[in-house]
Amino acid sequence: MKERTEILISGFGGQGIVRLGQIIGLAAIKQQYRVTMLKSHGTEQRGGYVRAQVIVSREPIDSPIVEDPDYFCAFSTPAYRRHVDMVSQGVIFYDPSSTEVDEEKVKKITHYSVAARDIAIEKLGQAIYTNSVMLGAMARKMEIFGKEILLAAMLDVVPKFKEENARAFEAGYQLIK
Amino acid sequence: MKRYLETGNFAIAEAAVLAGCRFFAGYPITPATELAEAMSKRLPEVGGYYLQAEDECAAMHMCIGGALGGMKVMTGTSGPGFILYADPYGWALASEIPIVVLNSGRVGPVSGITGAPGQGEFYNVRFPTQGGNYETIVLAPNSAQEAFYLTVEAFYLAERFRMPVTLLADQLVTDGMEDISVPETDAEKAQMGLRFKDREINYGPEFYPAVDKIDIPPVVLGHNTGALCSDWTPTEEGYDTEEVEACHKHVYRLIYKVRNHKDLITRYEAFALDDDPELVVVSFGTPSRVVKSAVKKARETGMKVGALRLISLWPFPDELFWRRATYLSVELNYDGQLVREIQRACPKDSRVHFLGQCGELPGVQELLTVFQSLLDGKTISPINWQREAW
Repeated sequence: MKERTEILISGFGGQGIVRLGQIIGLAAIKQQYRVTMLKSHGTEQRGGYVRAQVIVSREPIDSPIVEDPDYFCAFSTPAYRRHVDMVSQGVIFYDPSSTEVDEEKVKKITHYSVAARDIAIEKLGQAIYTNSVMLGAMARKMEIFGKEILLAAMLDVVPKFKEENARAFEAGYQLIK
Repeated sequence: MKRYLETGNFAIAEAAVLAGCRFFAGYPITPATELAEAMSKRLPEVGGYYLQAEDECAAMHMCIGGALGGMKVMTGTSGPGFILYADPYGWALASEIPIVVLNSGRVGPVSGITGAPGQGEFYNVRFPTQGGNYETIVLAPNSAQEAFYLTVEAFYLAERFRMPVTLLADQLVTDGMEDISVPETDAEKAQMGLRFKDREINYGPEFYPAVDKIDIPPVVLGHNTGALCSDWTPTEEGYDTEEVEACHKHVYRLIYKVRNHKDLITRYEAFALDDDPELVVVSFGTPSRVVKSAVKKARETGMKVGALRLISLWPFPDELFWRRATYLSVELNYDGQLVREIQRACPKDSRVHFLGQCGELPGVQELLTVFQSLLDGKTISPINWQREAW
């Protein structure tokens, strides 16, 4: 494991951005890592700009900010544009239904297109499971976390409809090889 | 220890309960709302009281009432609410009433930006009320875990010095989530270095003179002590007076009970300062964490840079600034506040620089560029967020 792993998730309010950060943070604690999770958000409860920055490390964490994400997950085009230049070696996850990516960047940086919203609607009937699908897809690539630990963290954090969320997670996990 | 992924607000609430706080009055405001929320759940569980006030001014006055009734009390807000504490804060200072106050720093002035960090209240927490003639105690954690520790410490100091103590924690500390360890046994509390002090109520009628070796009166007012509580200058028996001499005696003690015992209050973290580096980077709160990362990186590349983090802000630790060096103050404000105290406290031939912005932390790479430029004897080059003028 690297000295520190940086994860950045960004999009609009109401998309479950902070929830995702919280789930990943809890998974880190379950694996006995140190973790920080900063959330930035506007005054609006829904619709405003939101960002979650997660740092995971075996050692106490000094800087809690993401400057070169190992994993960047974009849920909106503005969020993608705002942060894409920070990624040097990491990978990017995005939902094509809400995020338009830069083709020039796609040539240089690994992008995973995760049709999370479409899958959530198709398999579970509701867009509310979009972030759980995305988490499943990220679980496939975030080697520092065990799949089962991320799933358990998610089930700890979501208050209800746990079975549906678990199915969404699995659908996302199967999407990326 | 019990481990949580939680916010600094949660940590502060847990610490307050552990320190014996049983009364909280507050008014919700981002990013301190979660403290009030946590207290509204926790206090009834331990036989305490949560009061939803109609505004911040009333909230702190209610806390004064709670403290006079013999309880350990707390309130919490953000910058726009903190200014409404001005009146009761003065009451608590002058009548020597222990209260712990959270000021969670967002971007100002007024409502500014809610969900982003600011450090514009560095002086506001030093002079929270009118009239002057007092010292204040202010602690500034840089993580949720430290917020836990310093909240317990704030309750200790509030009781020890018989006065309000402010926790100044930026939005990233209170609103950000982190792994937090909460001690469960006495051994774990001791291991964390927590200290506690029970409320001492003296039923004698005297307000002062002090009998304590650090010049603090023996009684907390109220609770059938027979002593009066008023916002006027008190005589030694606690009666109101307009005598200049009595006022001098009273306020001199308010100032010097703190100044003469800074050793019981001052806390700081020195990093890479042993070899007298050319550049000393000073900060507090969350920016200090980025500074530390940057100083570690700078050292790897051979730059002679060290970091000084203030954990207690007021009384200001002048004695830490004895080095003839170049100082850089990194702050979350545009007008430059901490930097003014550094310049006042450091040797007169030192160079003092300021790097500030609000809402976002500086990045490690940006800091490294600034360090190099200052070590080269230049001023800070005009990159997009620095503000050298103050």
